[in-house]
Amino acid sequence: MTSTSDEIRSTRLDNGLTVLFESMPWLESASVSLLIPAGSVTDPTGLEGSASVLYDWTNRGAGGLDNRAFTEKLDALGAWRGGSSDREYSVVSASLLASALPRVLPLLADQVIRPELADAEFDGATELVRQELRSLTDRPSSRLFEALNNAYFESGHGRSSYGTEEGLAALTPSGVRQDFEHRYSPDGAVLAVAGGCDWDELLGLVDASFADWRGNRFQAPEVRLASPHATHVIADTSQQHIGLNFEAAGVDDADWYLQSLAVGVLSGGMGARLFTEVREKRGLAYSVGAAVRAIRGAGFITAYAGTTPERASETLSVLRDEFVRLSEGVREDELERARMGSLSNLVMHSESSSSRSKALAGDQYLRGVPRTVAEIQAAIEAVTLEQVNSWLAQRPLPEPFVVTLGPDTRAGGDAQ
Amino acid sequence: MSQQHTFHQIALDNGLTIVGERNPQARTFAAGYFVRTGSRDETAPVSGVSHFLEHMMFKGSDRRSAEDINREFDELGANYNAFTSEERTVYYGAVLASFQDRLLDLLTDMMRPALRESDFDMEKNVILEEIAMYQDHPQFRVFDLAAPRFFRGHPLGNSVLGSVESIKGLSRDAMMDYFVRRYAADNLTLVVAGNFDWDALVAQVTGLSRSWSSSGAGREHPALEPAGGMEFVTDSKLNRVHLAFHAPGVSAQSELRRAASLLASCLGDASGSRLFWALVDRGIADSASFSLDAGDGSGTFAGYASTEPDRAEQVRDVFLEVVRGIQDELPSAAEWRAAQTKAATGLTLGGETPFGRLISLGSAWSYRREYRTVREEVEAIMNTSLDDAAGFLADRPFDRLFTLQLGPDAGQS
Repeated sequence: MTSTSDEIRSTRLDNGLTVLFESMPWLESASVSLLIPAGSVTDPTGLEGSASVLYDWTNRGAGGLDNRAFTEKLDALGAWRGGSSDREYSVVSASLLASALPRVLPLLADQVIRPELADAEFDGATELVRQELRSLTDRPSSRLFEALNNAYFESGHGRSSYGTEEGLAALTPSGVRQDFEHRYSPDGAVLAVAGGCDWDELLGLVDASFADWRGNRFQAPEVRLASPHATHVIADTSQQHIGLNFEAAGVDDADWYLQSLAVGVLSGGMGARLFTEVREKRGLAYSVGAAVRAIRGAGFITAYAGTTPERASETLSVLRDEFVRLSEGVREDELERARMGSLSNLVMHSESSSSRSKALAGDQYLRGVPRTVAEIQAAIEAVTLEQVNSWLAQRPLPEPFVVTLGPDTRAGGDAQ
Repeated sequence: MSQQHTFHQIALDNGLTIVGERNPQARTFAAGYFVRTGSRDETAPVSGVSHFLEHMMFKGSDRRSAEDINREFDELGANYNAFTSEERTVYYGAVLASFQDRLLDLLTDMMRPALRESDFDMEKNVILEEIAMYQDHPQFRVFDLAAPRFFRGHPLGNSVLGSVESIKGLSRDAMMDYFVRRYAADNLTLVVAGNFDWDALVAQVTGLSRSWSSSGAGREHPALEPAGGMEFVTDSKLNRVHLAFHAPGVSAQSELRRAASLLASCLGDASGSRLFWALVDRGIADSASFSLDAGDGSGTFAGYASTEPDRAEQVRDVFLEVVRGIQDELPSAAEWRAAQTKAATGLTLGGETPFGRLISLGSAWSYRREYRTVREEVEAIMNTSLDDAAGFLADRPFDRLFTLQLGPDAGQS
């Protein structure tokens, strides 16, 4: 028995559903991620928030069971339900003891193929999403990221996954049901399972539960970016929240791994540059960091720091300086630390069924094919210092989008 | 699988205890120092010192600078963290199993920090930023406001972060004094999980901790006489109402802890619980939860809900009605079984990685000097009887539920 799995089994059903499986026979658990490409980016114009409401509504009863009976059945099986509706897709997920998979999988199939979508549950679903949207007002850092994405994308990719007040108010049960028929389709959806179960058994379960799912592929719009600019959102907060977005390589780009390691040098750990310069040397912020983000067809780098308003201007200029300094190259020891961080992180995640099922589904959606742990490891190990530095040297630092949120004293006023 | 797990323990001559669960199949190794100290062990003039000290432990020892520590954690690719609560401070990390000795060297060296004045002064700014950050998190702040009111002078009501004033007034010497008393060898436990070489580990840590000594650090356990009733705090900056609830619970040492925890799960789990159906499912509150915080010698239930100002009264009433209602309408057999099964799944999932396993292993040891495999604990949960919960509820603990409402207006309407 070994504690690593370097093989991913996959198949595509006639209806277009992609099924992925990674065997982790040493685990007692199994995790399921069922990804449906319905998110706020494909919400019908004027009905923003539809995907979120629909996702919540599908949780409220399915396969002939009402809301309570459906939830109680999953609870009785000990399934830990996760899932959410985000910008690009909705995910129905569960972690469970592998022995419960034959009874849980049909229920998850019911949720996405045969949800009740009962009139009586529509108001609860809509109201919950509305409450989540409104709760953003007391979560300033989340609000900042919403504003930053909104400023960055010209296409619907910048929409909040909670929709808008107007969009939510315009939703009707019949309209959202129609949306369900349209967007909850097997063609483009991904079912990923990882854990202590068996591929042949899984195939049998999938065939029994998902083969009769019907629907046509639904296309997401092209990614379009706005022009770089700076915006300040006035909010009565204690801290000034600072966010930057830089255009960057996407997952299809040959330079993806170079970029990941370069950003690792900037913000991979507590010894990385941003933490050292902003927090350790200057004590400007408690929370500071940068990360590469990917959506289908685009990549970007997001940086964040939260600081008291009087120190916001200095914090922003240190952040910007560090991006300039990164484009001047990295040292060997810095690269090795970033590499070790990535590799170690990879191994740690490979120990958990839930991490692996999410990674499989995410890869399939973003890249059209899942990566094994060994494949990612090899790609990270192959990156050389020369490659990273020549890539950084050849690539001019794009102008950032800067959004600040806080009291009405502009951070670095002329951020541009 | 878990049959292959072996348990190890040793008490060193200096008073330090080491416990570990070895899983020869794991690819990683996790280690953590559990310090029996937190805000409940502080006096008012040094409020926040435990948490500030946690930051300072990363600032270097006689052998390492702050930069060295950060750099070494990164070199090891460690997944690591530290946290401070009312009653414990924990430093932990996980690495590939081949880095066992380097992680132990680093963590053990950190336990004897230099506490340099210049680092102390700089880190004070970071602590003040952290306090400011939590000011922007009303879902956190409402508990900071509720605790001293509920605990009424009991040290569990002490703030973990401290106040801007107490942090500004704190001196390096006062911190050192606190450190010497609270970080003595007999107040520390080293907990390890995953794949490791036990004999090598014991030999290494024995060598590294040779100069450590014991202090006989104690802990006050005054009687807990909590407040009931309702209080209101107004903050015009807020847009929503945040509600904190507290009731006396059971301690981590209590035989009733599993029953009380399952009861809390029936009431306030994220899905399928009574509060979920009454508040979240209906969209009246965007979140509602209730759980048991079983601590050292005493425990409390804590609940939270957030909603719009004009629904605050409704949410408050429903919350209280649901929680108190369980005293008259016990969980059904199905509710109880679902709570047990969910807890069992959670424990199994958490136990699958050394990093996840470490905290439950360390908690069981530091609170109860007890070791159980994941399977034994799952069995104990599945065998927990509803009668235990009924016995606990017979005292009607939720009649004394304390409520604090934080929101944009007084809301006493």
